[in-house]
Amino acid sequence: MKFEIQLTSARGKRKHIVELVREDGVSSVALDGQSVEANATQIAPNVVSVMLGSQSFELHIARSADGTLKLRCGPHEFSAEIVDPRAWRGRKHGAVEAEGRQEILAPMPGKVIRVLAAVGDAVEAGQGLLVVEAMKMQNEIRSPKSGKVERLLVKEGQNVNAGEVLAWVE
Amino acid sequence: MFKKILIANRGEIAVRILRACRELGIQTVSVYSEVDRTSLHVRLADEAYLIGPAASRESYLRIDKLMDVAKKSGCDALHPGYGFLAENPALPRACADAGIKFIGPSAEAMEAMGSKTAGKQLARRANVPTVPGTSDPIENPDEAQALAQNMGYPVLLKAIAGGGGKGMRVVPNDAAFSSAWRDAASEALNAFGDQRVFLEKYLVGPRHIEIQILADAHGRCVSLGERECSVQRRHQKVVEEAPSPVVTPELRRKMGDAAARLGRAGGYVNAGTVEFLVDANLDFYFLEVNTRLQVEHPVTEQVTGLDLVKLQIAIAADHRLPFAWETITPRGHAMEVRLYAEDPDNNFFPSPGKIISRHAPTGPGIRLDEGVYEGWTVPMDYDPLLSKLIAWGNSREETIARLRRALDEYTIMGIRTNVSLFRRILSEPEFLRGEIHTTWLDEVLSRPRPPVEPPRPGTEEAALIAAALWHSAQSNASAAGGAEPQAAPSRWKMEGRRQQMDHMP
Repeated sequence: MKFEIQLTSARGKRKHIVELVREDGVSSVALDGQSVEANATQIAPNVVSVMLGSQSFELHIARSADGTLKLRCGPHEFSAEIVDPRAWRGRKHGAVEAEGRQEILAPMPGKVIRVLAAVGDAVEAGQGLLVVEAMKMQNEIRSPKSGKVERLLVKEGQNVNAGEVLAWVE
Repeated sequence: MFKKILIANRGEIAVRILRACRELGIQTVSVYSEVDRTSLHVRLADEAYLIGPAASRESYLRIDKLMDVAKKSGCDALHPGYGFLAENPALPRACADAGIKFIGPSAEAMEAMGSKTAGKQLARRANVPTVPGTSDPIENPDEAQALAQNMGYPVLLKAIAGGGGKGMRVVPNDAAFSSAWRDAASEALNAFGDQRVFLEKYLVGPRHIEIQILADAHGRCVSLGERECSVQRRHQKVVEEAPSPVVTPELRRKMGDAAARLGRAGGYVNAGTVEFLVDANLDFYFLEVNTRLQVEHPVTEQVTGLDLVKLQIAIAADHRLPFAWETITPRGHAMEVRLYAEDPDNNFFPSPGKIISRHAPTGPGIRLDEGVYEGWTVPMDYDPLLSKLIAWGNSREETIARLRRALDEYTIMGIRTNVSLFRRILSEPEFLRGEIHTTWLDEVLSRPRPPVEPPRPGTEEAALIAAALWHSAQSNASAAGGAEPQAAPSRWKMEGRRQQMDHMP
């Protein structure tokens, strides 16, 4: 399986191709076309241990509200944006409209104070769907695409966590 | 001894008190607001009672509800922790009326020592040196300005009812006086409903050093030595240590004697803290008394080997302090950092939310006092203190090394924390030399950030591999019915299957 990953570290942003390979029970990996001796195992829901040769690394991973992965290794932090060929919520296309079914995620913890659209409504890209209040600031959550509101998973007055799915737009 | 204690607080301090009670074989009763149902202090308590909605003034600050719970559950004592009602004399009064022992000083001692001006008057009577200035509020700005000119600039304006840096202004010169006066008074009015301010000489670059005192109900008042709390961000303590890098045994004795003298003069009983400012000549000046257990009490516990919460309970139960404690000296060195759910890269903005994963440091010389756990959502309604990480070592150097090691082990995902602030403080050369004062950290933070040490070779590659593996495991889990991603026995096997799928036409 091949992944295109944009990794952001203290040194800046770089794109890499990561290929996970399995041969006769020995886990190995190709990085940017180069084969590396590596072994990785998920030891807890949000922890991955990686052996690179004999070097041991432990990575803590969580998905952030904007869909990127946050990784931490001791004091070092990285963020990774993954372009999975199968993922329908892939990379951000800048000004280009998103395609396919879109999950609308809460960008911060807060309270839904208004729902601006109903299930079945046709919405334009950039149209407001909900208003979330966090720390006395109101934020309008907009539709990333033109389409139909397929599901609304929250009600007015409900508290939400960062990254929680608020709605689906098809 | 008491049978059952009501803990009138939440968060890490409620858990801390709970643990002391458990060790003493005392039953515990917690109280909680609607958003704290799943908080650790509720999970660990023997009994817990809902006392109202999230807003503290409708729950944790409601003395009537606390008294109801205390009576209903049959508590014979109440511990207030710190913050909330801990320094409100109305709470010990309500306890006295209800026949419940308050674990702390009397309402009278709180009033005589707690307010900044009353404390200063008492200090003068007890022959404890104070910062030159007025101890009474000044009504007339012209009169205040004349006093400031007399005293010499810079001067400090402070709210009578103040705390946490609110209603406080440094006046560098005469020209700035009238606007600073206006600002301080209006800020004090907004924050405390009391616009009265007083004036004192502003010491340049002082240290904040405080003395922990313990007094029993039989007239004994002892000092447990000092804590250095000079590392502050906007007047809020951030790192605390004991002993202070500058306090000599002679100075410790002098400050300890002064603090104990003050405690006796105020009829103080239970644990308290006398705060001093110490200038470059190592002259010390009384600042204020905190009539409660301090956030930073663990550093004193680590260097004295005493359990202050258990001693508070023993004192409240009328036990006597042993005479041998007149000569307590610190052993080794302890240092505490306060981990907050706040974003140091975004102006220390609070960052509440769900803790997705958490790995806590352990090992030699490490103590973690906290009220959080993996999967818990940090509410946005209260102070965002998550944990206090305390290290102990034989020397200041060993303690700092342990603290840095523990900070590297401590990982919380899902919310932002101020861990990186401590890595920075603990690597500043001035800090390592102990050359700190109350505005040192604010100065450090205004400087450009030093470059972060690069990760060892291979870290980025490891991050890439981990990201790819984790992502594919997540996709598999959600494809299999949206279950939580689990540590399945072989992701690599599933990956192999997927690859075969990819090859299908």
